[in-house]
Amino acid sequence: MTKMRSNRLKIVFMLCLGFVTIGGQHFESKVAQLLQDETEHIKCFVEGKDLTCFWEEEEERNHLHNQYTFTYSYENKNKMACAVSSLSLLASNKTIFFCKLAKTPFFATLHLQVLRDGQMLYTRSLNAENILFLDPPRNLTVMSSGKEGQLNVSWLPPQLKYMDDSMIYEVRYAAEGSDLGKVEVIKVSTMLVLFGLESDTRYKVWVRVKPDGVAYKGYWSAWTEPVFGVTPPSDVDPLIVLLVLSIGLILCLLSLTVILSHQKFLLKKLWPDIPTPEHKFPGLFTVYKGDFKEWMSHNNGSMWGRSVHVYTEELPSPLEVLSEVSLTSHGTSQREEMKPAEEDESERSDSGLTDRWRDPPHAHWLMDQLRALQENPESHSQSSLLQSHDTYVTLNQGDIEQQADDVFEETLPLQTLFSSAGTPSLSTSHSDLGSLQQSSGSGRLSSQSSLEYPNHTWPPKGPGYSYMAVADSGVSMDYSPMSSSRIAELGRHRIYTNDYKNEIFPHKWPLSGQYIKSG
Amino acid sequence: MQITRLFAFLLMVLEWTRPGLSSPLRPICDLRVVDHFIKEAWDAEAALRACKDACSIATNFTVPLTRVDFDVWAAMNIEEQAQEVQSGIHVLNDAISSLQASNQTDVLQSHIDASINNIASIRQVLRSLSIPEYVPPTNVGEDKEMQKVSSISELFQVHINFLRGKVRLLVASAPVCHQGVS
Repeated sequence: MTKMRSNRLKIVFMLCLGFVTIGGQHFESKVAQLLQDETEHIKCFVEGKDLTCFWEEEEERNHLHNQYTFTYSYENKNKMACAVSSLSLLASNKTIFFCKLAKTPFFATLHLQVLRDGQMLYTRSLNAENILFLDPPRNLTVMSSGKEGQLNVSWLPPQLKYMDDSMIYEVRYAAEGSDLGKVEVIKVSTMLVLFGLESDTRYKVWVRVKPDGVAYKGYWSAWTEPVFGVTPPSDVDPLIVLLVLSIGLILCLLSLTVILSHQKFLLKKLWPDIPTPEHKFPGLFTVYKGDFKEWMSHNNGSMWGRSVHVYTEELPSPLEVLSEVSLTSHGTSQREEMKPAEEDESERSDSGLTDRWRDPPHAHWLMDQLRALQENPESHSQSSLLQSHDTYVTLNQGDIEQQADDVFEETLPLQTLFSSAGTPSLSTSHSDLGSLQQSSGSGRLSSQSSLEYPNHTWPPKGPGYSYMAVADSGVSMDYSPMSSSRIAELGRHRIYTNDYKNEIFPHKWPLSGQYIKSG
Repeated sequence: MQITRLFAFLLMVLEWTRPGLSSPLRPICDLRVVDHFIKEAWDAEAALRACKDACSIATNFTVPLTRVDFDVWAAMNIEEQAQEVQSGIHVLNDAISSLQASNQTDVLQSHIDASINNIASIRQVLRSLSIPEYVPPTNVGEDKEMQKVSSISELFQVHINFLRGKVRLLVASAPVCHQGVS
């Protein structure tokens, strides 16, 4: 029984000692702060409901506390005395004398006096509700709110009645290790949410309190002990990260697939090949190693045949050659003689033919025949169509019926013109345009625009020659026969093809390879 | 004739009972309302603090006592507290109203008018809290709870201290505002 009592007494004593120590710490810290801040000789503050006034010991004087007298009065009442005590401050090595009033009158003017040995030392008039010195807030806690860059701060106000709704708080926070801090002021409320903080960072938080200045006034309390709080890490949803990565991967794969499937096309577009005409000249670079002359000599026929195919718009038409009866009198001798002459004639009438001719041996005879034909007006009617064209190739004279059999004979001069040197060769008509081979003694030919008929000495109508219209497009030549009946007629006759060899350029003549002899 | 008498009698009865006043006012428990009046009283006190000599008048003012002992106050019941507050407001109103008659500066006059309006508003607040109305004392003798001041600045100091102290404590501890709160 006695043991229990003693234990209880010990516990109570320890608690009291603890409270006194804590209160003493607060008291001393408040005194120390007011010693620095307060300019009045009598420094007073209200702690709870008690008024404490103190004054500093003068330097180099050791007075005793009983030498001092502290009195106070209010509302015209008599002065009342307060017991004076002394305290030595260890931190500043100073001695103070203080007086503590247990029942402090509020909302009334207090008149204070300090007397030493009966002599007035200091005086001061104040209102107790204006010098409140509160204790720091209690139970400061800092917690993460779960949201990025936010911290929840909460605390409890100092234990004071009647003043809970008259307090203002100041919250100070700074990142750990940083000297820069921010301050937030909040009225009445005892909790605060801090915004705009860095993610995943440790923060230090302090709080202090003061009366708001409306009903009560006072000094800022001391800062609480710092409390640490950690902000949550940046809010990155792993699902979103995964989705973004997968979409990126899919896009990469798609682009790769597109690039690989259109590799050649893209390469062509981005890095086009330098065009080469190799495909136009098969075997020129592979077989003949760039020797064009050699290649030309080996690839004449096929080349022309192929090149002629290019000009599909210019369909070859058979070249109808009709001979004139009047030429039969000359006989074969004339045929041979006429060969170079008629060659010249055909050569001259081709499109692009120059006027440079080496006069053939029978040129004069031909000229005479043409003049005779010109004098004959009947033959003009047949060539009315021809007259409208720019270029005419006069091969045979006018009257067809009479010359039905002779036409064949008369084509012989033309035959000589168009045939190669030596024997006239029979060959099937080519659908493609034939080429004229230059015969011996014939003039040189070069590409040129259409030959003007009126300027030509060779009239369109000559005795013994039918007419053939030649339309010159500038590059190609189109030979259209006079009538279809003649074509049928001529179909029976031999057809000659002649190769045309040009010195400058193997021009693609849209010439008909058909040379039909009509009889 | 009898109808006229009956009608007059009914009017007298209705005037006496005043049924229009039976509807209670909504209680104003928010202390920020009282704080607003206190802030205006602070402005008046600050403006007149320097006006000690120029604002002194010959007659003294009877003003209420403003001192509050928290322990003593806590021991009083609501009726005692109400009586103390209501009588003090009444006396203060009389003292400040007496200044209106005298010639004062425009600044002082504005503060006097504001203070009188605030006292009237505080009376309405107390009425909303069902605080008993002021009953003048039967004895004409000097009230113990009164004091004398000789300057206008002291008058306004008493004014601000009374509002901050007793009036605010009464409104804060009004039973109507604490109903339902354990």
